[in-house]
Amino acid sequence: MGLSSLGVEYGSYILVAAIFLLLLTGQPLAWVTGLVALVFTFGWFGGMALPLVTARIFGFITEYSLVAIPMFILMAALLDRSGIAKSLFSGMRILAGRLPGGVAVQTLIVAILLAAMSGVIGGEIVLLGILALPQMLRLGYDRNLSIGVVVAGGSLGTMMPPSIVLIIYGLVASVSIADLFLAAITPALMLLGFYVAYVLYICWRNPELGPPMSDEEMAQESIGSALRSLAAPLFIVLVVLGSIYGGIASITEAAAMGVLAVLLISLARRELTFKMLQDSLVHTLETCGMIIWIGIAAAVLVGVYNLMGGNRFVADAILGINAPPVVIIMVMMLILLVLGMFLDWIGIALLTLPIFVPIVIQLGYDPIWFGILFAVNMQVSYLTPPFGPAAFYLKSVAPKEITLKHIYTALLPFIALQLTVLAIILFFPPIATWAIN
Amino acid sequence: ADYNWTFQTSETAGEPGFVNKQKWATSVGVLSGGRIAIEILPIGSVVPHTDTLDAVGAGILQGHLTDPSYFSGKDPAFAMMGNLVGAWSDPFELLGFMESGGGNELYAELVEPYGVHFIGAAATEPEAFVSRVPIRTVADLKGVKLRAPEGMVFEIFSKAGAAPVSLPGSEIFSALDKGVVDAADNTVFATNQALGMNDIAHYPLYPGFHSLPMIDISMNKEIWNGLPEDLKAILSASVKQFSFNHIYSVRQLDAAAVALAKANPEIEIINWSGDERTKFRRIAQQEWQNWASRSEMTQRYYDTVTAYLSGRNLL
Amino acid sequence: MAKVAEIIAKVEDADAEIRTGFDRVIAGSTKILAWTIFAAFVITVVEVVARYVLNSPTFWAHESTTFLIAATFLIGGPIALARDKHIRVRMFYDGVSPARRRLLDIFNSVLALVFFGGLAFAGWIMVSKSWFSPIGELRLEGTGTSWNPPTPALLKMLVLICVSIMFVQTLLHLIAAIRRDVSAPADTAGEK
Ligand code: NA
Ligand code: NA
Repeated sequence: MGLSSLGVEYGSYILVAAIFLLLLTGQPLAWVTGLVALVFTFGWFGGMALPLVTARIFGFITEYSLVAIPMFILMAALLDRSGIAKSLFSGMRILAGRLPGGVAVQTLIVAILLAAMSGVIGGEIVLLGILALPQMLRLGYDRNLSIGVVVAGGSLGTMMPPSIVLIIYGLVASVSIADLFLAAITPALMLLGFYVAYVLYICWRNPELGPPMSDEEMAQESIGSALRSLAAPLFIVLVVLGSIYGGIASITEAAAMGVLAVLLISLARRELTFKMLQDSLVHTLETCGMIIWIGIAAAVLVGVYNLMGGNRFVADAILGINAPPVVIIMVMMLILLVLGMFLDWIGIALLTLPIFVPIVIQLGYDPIWFGILFAVNMQVSYLTPPFGPAAFYLKSVAPKEITLKHIYTALLPFIALQLTVLAIILFFPPIATWAIN
Repeated sequence: ADYNWTFQTSETAGEPGFVNKQKWATSVGVLSGGRIAIEILPIGSVVPHTDTLDAVGAGILQGHLTDPSYFSGKDPAFAMMGNLVGAWSDPFELLGFMESGGGNELYAELVEPYGVHFIGAAATEPEAFVSRVPIRTVADLKGVKLRAPEGMVFEIFSKAGAAPVSLPGSEIFSALDKGVVDAADNTVFATNQALGMNDIAHYPLYPGFHSLPMIDISMNKEIWNGLPEDLKAILSASVKQFSFNHIYSVRQLDAAAVALAKANPEIEIINWSGDERTKFRRIAQQEWQNWASRSEMTQRYYDTVTAYLSGRNLL
Repeated sequence: MAKVAEIIAKVEDADAEIRTGFDRVIAGSTKILAWTIFAAFVITVVEVVARYVLNSPTFWAHESTTFLIAATFLIGGPIALARDKHIRVRMFYDGVSPARRRLLDIFNSVLALVFFGGLAFAGWIMVSKSWFSPIGELRLEGTGTSWNPPTPALLKMLVLICVSIMFVQTLLHLIAAIRRDVSAPADTAGEK
């Protein structure tokens, strides 16, 4: 059969090129990735290998940790429809007062709280996309700034413990998950700090990007009612965090506990109706359909690429470099960044970690440190085009007039911030490792 | 090489099992004078771990080195043959049963209709148990919330008085850490120690008593049938060698990990007495009986294995 | 605050770009199918209460939740397709003339048909292996636990059903695109 005669190197190039070209036709991304994977399976191995494709679909959808995604989306849909969200952001605006960009900073703080509440992203970005984005736009915040804050902040879930990315890394590399969690906190807060500093700086330069309240407005609002509007969201956060850190529920189950909290509050506020619940469920189902099939397609692509010997190709490419160890680490980072443009993190982890981790240990580096580099790199991968899961999550709930192009443009400064943090950790490992020594 | 194959395993790349399986593939290359080249892939690389049997039968993968329990959903016999909970405290007992008690023949017969040829069995050290609370006897299991995976383990721990919890592998660490569960059935001691499990749950049980999975090394039947006799012999012999090497390597790693754990004054390693192990085995045996009646194959296996165990005076 | 919910519902309905009658049926079924998510939510809460409060975890919650959510993910595919919500790069697509866009729609539909057709073929093999033993007896593949619900067999069947539905949806989109009159671009779907 034809395609395998290309060899894995040229096969890899053609695979990537095919995805790029087909994307431009406006074909849904999930079908593009899936079709290329299917054609390569058939063309490389023949018809008998096709069940690989559906086996991977089955494997992907039955991944238990994904249960958290619909729960977070449902939580968001309910919060939104109940009016809790609107009063939260109105309250936050009052508390932000005259600080330019204040609400964006508060959104980032909400994001880091959400990050401590979950192990996967997806749900959080949808949640912030539904809640924060329209509200920030309503308050006159700059569109790019608002998008960037939502996506970058919402992606922090996989850096902040409890992070499934770090758990999978720990399992693959056989290193202590507790140490990974400890080591990740400083870099996660550093990312947050960079985002906050960036927002404050550009809003200080140009307050129109994040308009503060005027004196007249301030006079009309009371701090007391603003604080009261925070009570309900705070209760929800407490329920989820309490479930996890109190040993009541697993990370995935905690998301359902959050839904329970939202339902109870809406009931207490007499906002819960059958129609509202049904609409929220319908919205959740549609959103899941959109984002999960992209993941399904990426999972199929990884399966066939592994079978083609893609992992061997990558390993040989790295081992072929005759350079100082730090350069090899940088090459690995570069490979991760490039793969991050096309695959989601699970695929990248499956593809590269079995190759990278033994080399890293052999070079004498701390695998915990590398795990943190990996996690930061995956933060970048959520945001980079053409395959930026975080951008898709936001697109699935953003107002129609916001296109993928807008989103990716808005993300550029945040990607730059992430790359800066990546470089800092690469050259100053203690930023990650001080916590465990 | 004349033969280029891809075998998928049931371990992640960092686990000792994966490394040892890679060494096996290297040895096959050497023994065959380079005529066979096998690429070893970690769990989930090509197909999900529950689907490798079909994938090997279809020729998508040429073989696998895996835990048969993953196919329990296809036939309950896989659950019994893959990990007869409580039956073995020593891998050489299991291997003895496979080689001389009729295990190999039954297992080969089980996988044959799937288009798969069973080359041979290996075994690992009994899996260690991670626990936040001291469990010194069967009676101590009462009310303990413990994570147990697929197969018959769940029912047996229920019968022993515990409260088994279903949790995916990726949730075990956090659940133990925060106290969602008190104990967990995980993997071998060395790996648990490396993952930091014993640092958050201070009462590991070692050597384990409940779970000693068989490792099934199989390949596509058509490819096997087409092999010259010398290569068949090389594959069979290399698998036997692998079964020894794997046990010795895990024992060495476990010993180093035990020394590490002992150096931590907070960790107490608990070792069950022979009497408690027998007590647990008797409880387990009731559940084996339940499973035995599920099909003709499970009944035959039950009869064969209990005959072997009583012959060894272990029941 | 019922008003907020109504406004959102209206906006989302206006968002939907339902192209064929079949799509309308699929999109309409969402109102019932979406309750699988609620069921998964209730089961999870029951498990947490049973385990934490009553100290008697269930043997069925984990597998039921996994099944319900996996089913939700699968049916989300046809449902998002019915409302044309799958994410795509529209840079070029939005920029071309109605006639060119019709050609792109035809081209994309044909490729998508190849994709869903291939998936259906592979799905058929997967289903036959999970519904029948190697000697041809009907035997639904279970999860392999003591409870052993046949959810893997059901989900594999659902994979086949969903990709087949998407095949039909796409076929109808293809027919609609071929028949579309591009001289009156105002009523072509996908423009706003
Ligand atoms: Na997190
Ligand atoms: Na990306």
